[in-house]
Amino acid sequence: MPQFSLYEEEFHPSPWQRTWAAFRSSHIAMVGLIMLGCFVIFALFAPIITPYDAVEQNIDGLLIPPSWTSNGEISHLFGTDALGRDLFTRIIYGCRITLGTAFITVVLAMLVGVSLGAFAGMLRGVRSSIANHLLDALMAIPTLLIAIIIVAILGAGLVNSMWAITLALIPQFVHHTRSFVRAEMKKDYIVASRLDGASRWQLFIHSILPNMIETLVVQGTLALSIAVIDISALGFLSLGAQSPLPELGAILADGLDAAYLAPWNVAVPGTVVFLMVLSINIVGDGLRSALRKRVSH
Amino acid sequence: MIQILTRYCTLLTITLLVLAVMSFSLAYLFPGDTLENLTGLVPQNDVQREALERQFKLDSSVVVQFFYYLGNLLVGDWGYSFTSGLPLAEEVSIAMPATIELATYAMLMALFVGVPLGYYAGIRSYSTTDHLLNGASMTTYSFPVFWLALLLILVFSLQFDAAPLSGRISLLYDVPRVTGFILVDVLLSDLENKSLAFKDALSHIALPTLAIGAITTASMIRITRRSVIDVKHKAYIAAAVSRGLSSWQIFTRHVLRNALLPILPLMAIQITTLITNAMIVETLFSWPGIGNWLIQAIYQRDYPALRIGMMAVSTLVITLTILVDLFNRLIDPSREKYEHAAV
Repeated sequence: MPQFSLYEEEFHPSPWQRTWAAFRSSHIAMVGLIMLGCFVIFALFAPIITPYDAVEQNIDGLLIPPSWTSNGEISHLFGTDALGRDLFTRIIYGCRITLGTAFITVVLAMLVGVSLGAFAGMLRGVRSSIANHLLDALMAIPTLLIAIIIVAILGAGLVNSMWAITLALIPQFVHHTRSFVRAEMKKDYIVASRLDGASRWQLFIHSILPNMIETLVVQGTLALSIAVIDISALGFLSLGAQSPLPELGAILADGLDAAYLAPWNVAVPGTVVFLMVLSINIVGDGLRSALRKRVSH
Repeated sequence: MIQILTRYCTLLTITLLVLAVMSFSLAYLFPGDTLENLTGLVPQNDVQREALERQFKLDSSVVVQFFYYLGNLLVGDWGYSFTSGLPLAEEVSIAMPATIELATYAMLMALFVGVPLGYYAGIRSYSTTDHLLNGASMTTYSFPVFWLALLLILVFSLQFDAAPLSGRISLLYDVPRVTGFILVDVLLSDLENKSLAFKDALSHIALPTLAIGAITTASMIRITRRSVIDVKHKAYIAAAVSRGLSSWQIFTRHVLRNALLPILPLMAIQITTLITNAMIVETLFSWPGIGNWLIQAIYQRDYPALRIGMMAVSTLVITLTILVDLFNRLIDPSREKYEHAAV
C-alpha cells in the first residue's frame, strides 16, 4: 500500500504486522501454515486425539486395511500393522516425536551456532581467518557420517541421533550469523554505538541481534525441515529411534517388513513425513518472500 | 594467485590434519580395546599383544602414537576390517568409486536439467510456468530421499518390472575392475556382448541416480531461479534495457554469466547433501558403495572400518568443497576485495 505521507497515516503497522500482511497475501503460504498448524496440534495433543495406545498390540486385528478400502474398518482409520497396532495412533505419536525432537535440535543448534557465529564474526586477523575457514571446511562433513560415529560411540537411540543432528546443524547457523555480523559491523549505526563505548557483547545483544532475528527464523525453518528429514532417515536406518518407539522413520522401517501384504504401512508414514517437510518448506519460503517484500518496499 | 593457492593448500592441510586427529581419537572413544580399534588385528595371546603394541607405538606417548598413525595413513596402511579381515584400503578403494559414480551422475543430472530449468523459471519469473516449476521443485525437494527411493522401487521395479531391484550389474557379466566406475569399466572391457552389458548396467544405475538426482535437481532449480531474479533487479540490467537491447541479448550478455557466480558456492554446499543422500539410497538399492559399507559396518560394530570410512568420506567431501571454493575464488574477481577487507 502506498504511503503518501507518513504523518497522515492513521495506522502504522509494525514490521511484524507488515510481514504478516505480506505472508497472508500468499494463499499457498497460508495453506502451508495451516498444515503445519495441524501437525503442531497433533504433536501437542497426541494423547487426547488418539483412540489407542501407541504400543498396544491387538492379535485379533493384524494388518487391517485402511478405512477407505472395502475391507477396512472405521475403528482403525489408517489400518493396523503386522502386530495389530493402530497406525493412526502411531502416526500421531510419530508427529509428536519427529516434529518435537526436530524442534528441540533446531533450538539447541541455533543457540550454540549463533553464539559461536557472533564470536567468529567479531574476531579479526589470523585468528578469524583460521576459525572461519576451519568452520567452513568442517561444515562439509555429512550428517549421516556424524550420526554413524556418534552411534558407534554412544550406541543407537533417539537422544543420540538428536546430538548428531544438532552437531550437523550448528555450522549453518555459525556461517549465517558470522557473515551477517561481519556485514553489520561495518555499518554506521554500529560505529555510532562503538563510539558510545558499547562493548562487543552489548553491540551484539542490543544492535545486531534485533536486526537478525527475522532472518534467523527463516534459517530456523530451513533447519527444521532438514532436521525432520534427518531424524526420520536415521530412524529408518535404525540408527536413531528404535523400533517400538513410534517415530515416523522407524514406523516406515517396521512397515517395510510387510510391504507386499500391507503397502499402507509404508505409504502412510512416508506421506506424513513428506507433508510435514513440505509444509515447513512452504512456510519458510513464504516467510522469506514476505520479508523480502517488506524490505524492498 | 600464488597467495590464494598457498592459502587454500594450508587450509586443506590443516583441515585434513584435524580430521586425522579426530579419526585417531575415535580409536580411544569407541568401545572395546584401543589396539584392536586402531589396527583391526585381534591379538591371540599376551606375547603377540605386546609385540603389536610395540609395533604401533602404543607403549609411547599419545603424540608419538598419533604421528605413527599419521605415517601409516599416508602410506596407505589403514588396518584391517573386523568382519572381512581384508585390508581397509582395499575395501575403501572398491566402495568409494561406486559412490562417486552415483553422485557424479546425479550431479550431472542436476547441472544439465536443474540449471537450465532454473534459468527458464528465473527469466519468466512470477508467470504460470515459473509458479509450476517452483511448486514442482519445492515438492520434490521435500521428499525424504529414502521414501522417494522406496516409491521408485515399488513403481518401476515391482509394478512395471522396468528396472532391477539391486546391485550394479547382472551376475551374467563379469566386468574386470579398472576405474571402479561400472559404466566406464563396461566400455573399457572386451566382453562379447558389450552393448547388452552396458544396457544392463544402465538399468541398474537409473533408479538410484534418479532418486538422488531429483532432489539435487530441485534444489538446483531453486538456487538458480533466485540468483537469476536477483540479477534481473540489478541496475546494469535496467541500463541495458534502456539502451534498447533485446531480452535475448540481455540474457546472453548480462544475465547468464552473472547469475552463475552466486550459484557456485551454493553448489559446494550441495555436495554434502548429495553424498548423504547417495549413502542412504545405496542401502536401499544394495549398491556396493561407501554408504552401504559404513551402514553395514555400524550394524556389525566394525570399529576400524568406521574409523577409516569416516576419514575417507569426509576427506572426499572436504576436498571437493575446498576445490569448488577455490575455483569460485579464482574466477570471481569481486570476491578478492571482500576477502581482503574482511580478514
